[in-house]
Amino acid sequence: MSGRGAGLSGHGGRLSGRRYAHVLGAFWQVSLAEELQYRGNFLASLLNTVFWMAMALLTAGVFFRQTDALGGWSFWQVVVLLGVFNAVAGVVEGVLRPNIGKLVEHVRRGSLDLILVKPVDAQFMVSFRQLVFWNVSDVLLGLGLSAYGLHRLHITPAALDIAAFAIAVCAAVAIVYAVWLGLMTLAFWFVAVENLAVLFDALYETARFPVSAYPPVLRFLLVYLVPIAWITTVPAGMLTGHGSLLRALEAAGVALLALTLTRLLWRAALRRYTSAGG
Amino acid sequence: MSGGTAAPRRPAGAPSGARASWLERYGALFRAAWLVDLQYRAAILIWLLLGVAQPLVMLTIWWSVAGGGAVGGYGQSQFARYFFAVMLVDQLTLAWDIWYIDRWVREGELNFRLVRPFNPVHEAIADNLAYKVRSASLVVAVWLIVAAVWPAVRLPVEPARWAAAALAIVLAAALRFLVSFSHGLLAFWTTRATGVFQLHQGLSMFLAGRIAPLALLPPAVATIAGVLWFRSSLAFPVEVLTGRVPLGMPYVRGIAVQALWAVVWLIIYRLLWMRGIRRYEAVGG
Repeated sequence: MSGRGAGLSGHGGRLSGRRYAHVLGAFWQVSLAEELQYRGNFLASLLNTVFWMAMALLTAGVFFRQTDALGGWSFWQVVVLLGVFNAVAGVVEGVLRPNIGKLVEHVRRGSLDLILVKPVDAQFMVSFRQLVFWNVSDVLLGLGLSAYGLHRLHITPAALDIAAFAIAVCAAVAIVYAVWLGLMTLAFWFVAVENLAVLFDALYETARFPVSAYPPVLRFLLVYLVPIAWITTVPAGMLTGHGSLLRALEAAGVALLALTLTRLLWRAALRRYTSAGG
Repeated sequence: MSGGTAAPRRPAGAPSGARASWLERYGALFRAAWLVDLQYRAAILIWLLLGVAQPLVMLTIWWSVAGGGAVGGYGQSQFARYFFAVMLVDQLTLAWDIWYIDRWVREGELNFRLVRPFNPVHEAIADNLAYKVRSASLVVAVWLIVAAVWPAVRLPVEPARWAAAALAIVLAAALRFLVSFSHGLLAFWTTRATGVFQLHQGLSMFLAGRIAPLALLPPAVATIAGVLWFRSSLAFPVEVLTGRVPLGMPYVRGIAVQALWAVVWLIIYRLLWMRGIRRYEAVGG
């Protein structure tokens, strides 16, 4: 990331990677201070996470009453996947939705102007300004669920598997970010569509199950067109024996490609932006 | 129903030709809602996509579980018919009112609605009618196209059954509307009304038959779903439409349960509204 913003910010000022880290730290400090005013939200968020995790497990249970395997995954393997699903959902709710999810509104109301004149890269500012801190419970409980699933499978992942998992999870987060950025950037063309974020929710529904459980056509779409497969199936597969280090590196490649393409889309969109009156 | 607690606010000289004027009121409310929706066509299409995504995912997963055989009396084509019916009935009975009521109360948008000469619930009802006419006709159109090429999702041509299903769908729509609206009224007391409703939605994933036909759930869970209002709110009309419920006693019993729960939730709604509006202190706008 470092240094990239400097060339792209479109302002003369050179902003180094360290400077960006500093700005990010300041953003998140403010967010945390805001969140700490509403401590009751933490308990609510925690209970919410536990409730929806239970619902997800029961849902899987309904399917596994009738079958031993979904697309070659056993119940506890699917549980590992659901843990990843939950952890990534935490990132979505904690970082993506409160930031880039508001892009449509920024474009509609013209408040994007205020962001464009700031001496930091606009994409950076639109993406990471706020942090809903409590959603860290989703991430931790999700990873905990994955660990419990592994325990029930009697799997102790080797260091290499954990490394592959870490790479795949980072790639998954990057891909989710790219999908959000791509979807939200459509706001520049379709200003009237206020609920673009809902499209992500519709897509993310498919991530609850391993892609191998879907019919071939759909599987192809989920791997190559909308890269949902890389978000939960691939990282979880690193731990459950459905993947390899090579697959993790592929995931990293997909993530880089997705980030690059959406960056280009973002820049094309900005060139098109003429601001809303207001 | 009419006027309700808003009655004292009615101007002294309000017309007494109640019948005609209610028709006019609904006409105006419906037209307004229709035009607002027209403005947000694309947004509505996206909500519709979200609405059908979940049943479609469930369908494809059941599809792969069933393979060439059948589970619990459901083969691939039965699953297809079931979840297509879920999509249609869900669109026809959808109740998003909680989100509006919650905002009306918290942000003071209720204020101008209270000075109108009718209870705000009528605006919500007209809103529902306008949305459902639009989205349901879209789902029916898509269904007809799919049915033309895919026999599995075709419904048998039985006008009697369709009429029976229509009644069950109307009752389910009323029930879900009242449940959603009542949860919205909790906003008079708490800021977490939407949170409470989401728990309700989580439970209804199972109990209303969204994840699987109730016949595939553990019998105890299916029984709870039938005793409470959940089966009435979705699974029952779906089962009527797809021919799982015989049109004799089982149908009559199902309708009776629907009607009973609709009345119960109507009473809950009235109580919440009357108590809530008394303690409501408007938020300045």
